[in-house]
Formats: sequence, C-alpha cells, structure tokens
Amino acid sequence: MKDVIDTVQDRVHPAAEIYLRDHTAGKLSRREFLTRTTALGVAATAAYGMLGLVAPEARAEDMTPVMGGTLKMQMSIKAQRDPRTWDWSELANACRGWLEYLVDYQRDGSLTPVLLESWEASEDAKVYTLHVRQGVTWNNGDAFTAQDVAHNITRWCDASVEGNSMASRMGSLMENDAAREGAIEVVDDHTVRLNLSAPDIALIVSMADYPAAIMHPSFNGDDPVAEPIGTGPYRPVSYEPGIGAVVERNTDHTWWNAGNGAWLDRIEFVDLGTDPAAWVAAAEAGEIDLNYQAQGDIIDIFDSIGMPRSEAVTAATIAVRFNQDSEPYNNVAVRRGLQKAVNNAVVLELGYNDLGTVAENHHVCPIHPEYAQLPPLVVDGAAARAEIEAAGFGDYEFELISIDEPWQAETCDAVAAQIRDAGINIKRTILPGATFWNDWTKYPFSATEWNMRPLGVQVLNLAYRSGVPWNETAFANAEFDALLDQANGIADADARREVMRQIEEIMQNEGVLIQPYWRSIFRNAAENVHGAEMHPTFVVDYVNYWKS
Amino acid sequence: MLLFLLRRIGLMLITALCLTFVVFALTNLPAKLETLAKTQAGSRMTDAEVARWIDRNGYGSPMLQRYGEWLGVIPGWVRHDDDGTVHGRCVDRHQDPSLAGSRCGILQGDWGYSTRFQDNVSTVISARVGATGLLMMWVLIVMVPMALIVGVLAGMREGSRTDRALSTFAIASTATPEYVSGVLFIALLASSTVGLSPLLASWGWIDGRVLFQGNARSAMEDITLSNFTLPVLTIALYGMGYVARITRASMTEVMTQQYIRTARLKGVSFSKIVLKHALRNALIAPFTVIMLQIPWLLNGVVISEVLFSYPGFGWTLYEAAVNNDIELLLASSVVAVVVVLVTQLISDIGYVYLNPRIRIS
Repeated sequence: MKDVIDTVQDRVHPAAEIYLRDHTAGKLSRREFLTRTTALGVAATAAYGMLGLVAPEARAEDMTPVMGGTLKMQMSIKAQRDPRTWDWSELANACRGWLEYLVDYQRDGSLTPVLLESWEASEDAKVYTLHVRQGVTWNNGDAFTAQDVAHNITRWCDASVEGNSMASRMGSLMENDAAREGAIEVVDDHTVRLNLSAPDIALIVSMADYPAAIMHPSFNGDDPVAEPIGTGPYRPVSYEPGIGAVVERNTDHTWWNAGNGAWLDRIEFVDLGTDPAAWVAAAEAGEIDLNYQAQGDIIDIFDSIGMPRSEAVTAATIAVRFNQDSEPYNNVAVRRGLQKAVNNAVVLELGYNDLGTVAENHHVCPIHPEYAQLPPLVVDGAAARAEIEAAGFGDYEFELISIDEPWQAETCDAVAAQIRDAGINIKRTILPGATFWNDWTKYPFSATEWNMRPLGVQVLNLAYRSGVPWNETAFANAEFDALLDQANGIADADARREVMRQIEEIMQNEGVLIQPYWRSIFRNAAENVHGAEMHPTFVVDYVNYWKS
Repeated sequence: MLLFLLRRIGLMLITALCLTFVVFALTNLPAKLETLAKTQAGSRMTDAEVARWIDRNGYGSPMLQRYGEWLGVIPGWVRHDDDGTVHGRCVDRHQDPSLAGSRCGILQGDWGYSTRFQDNVSTVISARVGATGLLMMWVLIVMVPMALIVGVLAGMREGSRTDRALSTFAIASTATPEYVSGVLFIALLASSTVGLSPLLASWGWIDGRVLFQGNARSAMEDITLSNFTLPVLTIALYGMGYVARITRASMTEVMTQQYIRTARLKGVSFSKIVLKHALRNALIAPFTVIMLQIPWLLNGVVISEVLFSYPGFGWTLYEAAVNNDIELLLASSVVAVVVVLVTQLISDIGYVYLNPRIRIS
C-alpha cells in the first residue's frame, strides 16, 4: 500500500490521502472512499489505484454487450417541464438518452466524468476548476464549449424560477437569488473556474443530481422533449404522459463516446399506473422486460416469474417527521416523547419487511463518510407516556397522516401502533395521492420519502436548514445551521465527523423526526437484460443497458 | 317525431350544461386548484408560488367567469408580462397573440387543453373514445347473444333443471362486480405461477407462459385474442347476467300467454313455438334493457380499463379525475351525457318498431 501512495502522491488532492488513511484504518468503506476522492477530482481509475485495485470494467459481467434490440421498461411517464425544476427521477430518466450530465454518480459510489474531462478542487474547497470535455457536439451540430457549461450553471443559480431545486444546491455560487458576479469564470473554451463564497464539498456531487441535465443555450425552459437538443446518442420518438415514451438511437448524430454504450436500438417506457399488480400482469404477458422499482411482496412475485431482483443499498429513507410550526409539535418534550415510544427495528421489520438497516432519528447514514456513531437510542414506552403527560398532552389524540402507498402506510402503522402500545392516543389517517400532496408539507405529523444523497451534509442542507424550501419539519436552529456551515467546509472526514457528531446530537435532542430505517431498493429484470441493475439514486442510464 | 327528437336533444343540452357546471364547480374548488398547481409546477412549491401560479395561469378569476370562458360566452383571460409577451387562454392555445380577448370555448369548437396528457382535449378524447368503442363493440358481440341464448333457454320451461342451472349462473355473474371478476380472471388465466396457465404450459398446450394476457396495453396497436379476451369477458359477464335475467322473465311471461297454449294445442312443435311465436314478443323488454345497459357498462369500462391498463375512455376519465384535469374531465362528462341520452333515444325509437302498440307523439 505504501508505494501505491508514493506513485500517486504528486497528482492527487491532499484530502484524498487522508481518505486513504481512513480507509486503511477501516473508517471509510471502499464505496465511501470512492465517492469522496472522485468528488475531489481524482479519476475513478486513480482512486481504485490508490486502493491497490484495478478499476472494474463498466460491465462487471464477462460478456461483451450486443448491439441492437428493443427494451421495454415499466416507468411512470409524467408531464415534462424545465429540467432544473424536475421533482421526480422519472422525468430525468426518460431524457437521459439525449440529455447528459457533467458527471455521473455510479452504482459503486464513485463519480465518473461525462461532459467534463476532469476537475480539481483547491485545498480549501473554495475554487473548483472544471475541464470541459473536448470533441463533444450537440445533436444540432453546435460544438459543446465552456460557455455552455457556464450558461447551465448560471441557469441553476436562478432562484426566481418557480420550483428550481438546483438553486438550493448552488448556494455558494449565488447572491440575491441569482449567480454571483465573478462566481462563474470562463477561462478558455474548455475550462470553467468556479469561485465559491464558502467551501462546499458537495458541489460536484450535486452536479450529478437528476435536475442537473445539461441543456443547449437555445432551450427556453419549457419542454425538453419538444426540443430534444442534447449531446447524447438517442432521441425521443414519442412522449405521452400516463401512457409511455419511446426513445430510439439518433442516427444523424455522432456521439462523443461512440462505441462505449448506446447498445439498444430502441427503449420503450410503459406507464402502467401505480398498481404493482398491473406491472406483474404486464411482465407475465411479456409487455415489459424490467420494472422501475419493486417494493415489498412484489419483489418476490417478480422473482418467482423469472425476473430476478437486483438490490441497491442506499441512504434513501422515510422521515416520519413532526412539523414544528404546528401544535403540539412545537413542544420538544412531545416530540422526544413520541420518539421514545418507537423502536425503529420493529418499524423496519413490520413496515418494510426488514429490507434495510435501522436508522437513528438524525438522517445521517452509516454509508455517509462523515457518519459519527452515537450511543444507541433509548426506547421506553412508560417513560414516553410519562413525558407526554408531563407536557400536558396525556389525553390528546395525535394524528399521523400518510399517503396510501403500501410501504409508507405500513411504516406509519408500525410507528402509530407502538405509540399506541405506550398508552398514548394516536389516530392514523391514510390519504390517497390525489389529496395527500395538497398540503403534505404542512401536515403536523406525517411521513416523507427521501431519496439518498451521496454525502451526509447534503440532505441536512436540503431538508433541515432553517427556512429552506424542502424543510417540512419547520426545524429552525441557529446552532445547527452554524455547525452545518462549518461541516460544509471541512474536507477531512475525521475533522468533519467531530462537527457531525454535534449535528447528529442536536437532531436527536431536538426530536426532529422519527427516522426508522434506511431502505434498500430493488428492481426486477428479465435474465437477458444487462447493465440495468438498480441504482441507489434511481438512475435509469439506458445508454449502458443491453439485451442478449 | 321531429318534435320528439328536438325535445330529446334539448333535454340532452340542459343535462350536459347542468352536469358540466357541477363538475366544473367541484374541480375548481380552491384545494383542487392547489393540487393542480403542484402537479403542474412542482410538489415543493410554497403557498406564495402556488397563488402566483394560479393567478398567472387564469385560474384566479371568479368561477362563473371561468365557466363562461370554457363555454365560450365570455372572452378568455389575458395577461401582459413585463417583458411585453402576451399570455391568455386563447393566445397560449393557438400561439397567436392577436387572439387576446377573443372567445375560445366549446361553442367555438375548442374543447380546451388537457394538463395531464399535454394535448388538446379533443385529440385525447377522440383517440380514447375510439379505443373504448372497440372494447364496447366486442363486449356487445359477446354479451348480447350469450345473454339472449341463456335467457331464452332458461325461460322456455320455467322451473326446469335447465332454468335453475342457467338462472343460478346468471345471478352469480351479475352479482360479481368487475373488480372481483377481473382479478379472478387474471389469477386463473393470466398468471404463470397460479391458475390454469402453468398446468397448460406443462402439458405443452400453450406456447407462451400464460393463456391470456392480464394486460391490454398492447391492444392499443393490435387487438388479439390473447390481449383482449379478459377485459371483454370481465365487462360482458357482468352485463350478461342482468340481461339474461330480464330475457328469462320476459320469456316465461310470453310462454304463459293464451296464444302459445293455442299453438301447442294445434300441435305446433315446441321449437317452432319458441322461434316463431314467442321470441319476438319476448325480446321487447331485453332490447330496452340492453340499450340502458350501455351507459351502465361505462362503469365497468372504467374499472376494467384501469385494471387492464387499456387507455380508453374509462381510463382517461379515471386519470383526469385523479389528476384534476379540469377541461378533460368536463369533456368526459359531456361524452357520458351524450352516450346516456343517445342510447335512450335509440331504445325509445327501437321500442316503437318492436311494439306497434306504442306510439311516439
């Protein structure tokens, strides 16, 4: 191991070596090591090299991909809109054939440059230099340049656009709801320099998030399917919300990465609604080759009809959260009391068939590099009851609202059942999707599904910082915000873990949420479908799928 | 006759007007508009953003005014943006700023825009109604002959073993709602792990994994025995039992008439009596019932199309309702009113031809 470090020392970011030390000391798993180092600009192959490993081929199987074929996939097709306002991964997935990203987040946790050739971060993570890939053209013939990258980052920083979620990820480049003067610098045709106002170690990882699709400068912010100008090898043929979408290889366009993907001739997405029984029926009828995501019993049923499962371990979760703007959850004793009544392991077993790992009510996952282990949670029904009574809510009837999605409803049922067992009155309300989404951010006690983010600080920035749009807990804590700012600037996992420990403690002490488990997610595919394993962030990168 | 037709059409228009107003009022409740805004522009929008969206997209004006806009009796809404672009109901629909202030509603032949399917309502509805038309055609082809045969056979000899057996079957089928029979059919015939298909496959009687497909999505392009049998059967079976019961009742009544007894006494064979003397009279009641059953079947169409994911009229109605797609839902209710009243009209007119004692004044 020592000489491996020596050979790469002169090229890599200093923090990467700290990660390597962490990894050899057993503090960082290989997956975390890869996420962390590649985010700092170390190429995936070099990162693997630091571990003394050879980077795996893009396709682990000993099979050469075969060109051709049509793949049919079950996936819901929703009405399109401006990519930076996308709120469902499915919206991005349908477009991944022609819209590409600066970087891709891989199943193994590493980052792969796509429209960037490479990038470097300064030691304090305040200056990033992006090297834009050369030889890329848009499918209308225009050359892809650093100007285009700068244009997209500026678009992301425009917070005046309703629902632009990229703006919350680009905070360090912004000022007054727009890109800060001098933050985005075009150095030459293929180099962009980003000058951050505060260190942000998550900046590059954020650019792999699904709303960060790279759009042509002529895109007017409406429908990316109607004007499918992109850099990728496919083009849309049809797109009907609720019915399906068809994508085919774009024969008029030379893709920069030709020969390393785009195996399929045609991909057909079929929207079969939300009832998984219909998906099974369609699979039995040969109408689909793979599903988008299977949950609960449906995974086994698909297994049994000859479509084996693939699993992705994730930091995706369900947050059974309190809204601190509402009575009686503005009282920390009530929140703490309810938390104390719930054994998260039981919720995992009853609500999610044990298909995950137990979480600790602070929304930082053991697979996050900065995760700090806290003492185990105390579950004590009697104490919980006593605390609720002491707070004056002994006779109060709490209400836990959830959507009628089976696993979410069952999880909330398991939470409510344990609260009830502790002798506290609680009512369960299950709402259909049509009414649930109306007021969902304001329900006093409800459940929200959260997808994973590669770094622990990312979710906390998005979901628990005071006043941010996605904060439906209404948690507002100046000390927490300050610590989070501090954590955002510490590249060293050990040092950040110290801050993170305090952050996690605040989360637990303030009783922000009951977070019962981390979900593993599953997809079932026919045996002749390859490269389509479940991805921890639900990416459907059909450019790399193929059929034998 | 002409007066009768005119009265009927007038009734149809008034019914359609009332129904669409009720649907309009329900879909335009403030909470529903909020849902619409959030599905259209992002589920994480703040209240202020929602209010702004509702206002900017023409949902902010009073409800009666918007109903008038939809009908085409009041000019469509218009918005002038700071950058000089003009938006409005008619402007956005036709990409033509000169249309600002003009009327564009159903009186002008403009059915509006579907927010769920991002297409003109007229395009969506005509494509979907066509798909349902095919489904209904096959349902009627299966249902009507089966129901009549079962009813006539059962009613020929009241109380016989055939009657008891067929009546039991008819009652059972009409007592099984589509959402039960559809699921049973899928489990029995369209699963590769349970029911008949694994058995048949292991005997080598069927080529594929399943006997019939439990999903009719592919019937959009190409209707086959395999993908269309189950949805058709699910709807047909429910209606069949009911029509068969009516036919049986009508048939038994006819079979007790004096003229049937006279014919028997004269030595006419039983089959001749049934076919030549009893059948026409016995079919008067079922004819009306079959016609009235068609709008009734629309229920079944909704359930069956959703269950088998066949994008027809019922499926569209369901999607429009779930997604609060106001203009599509309104157009769907107009279509439903037309279907109900037209079938009633046909049944009234047909009745006159089958029963000369009745006259339309």
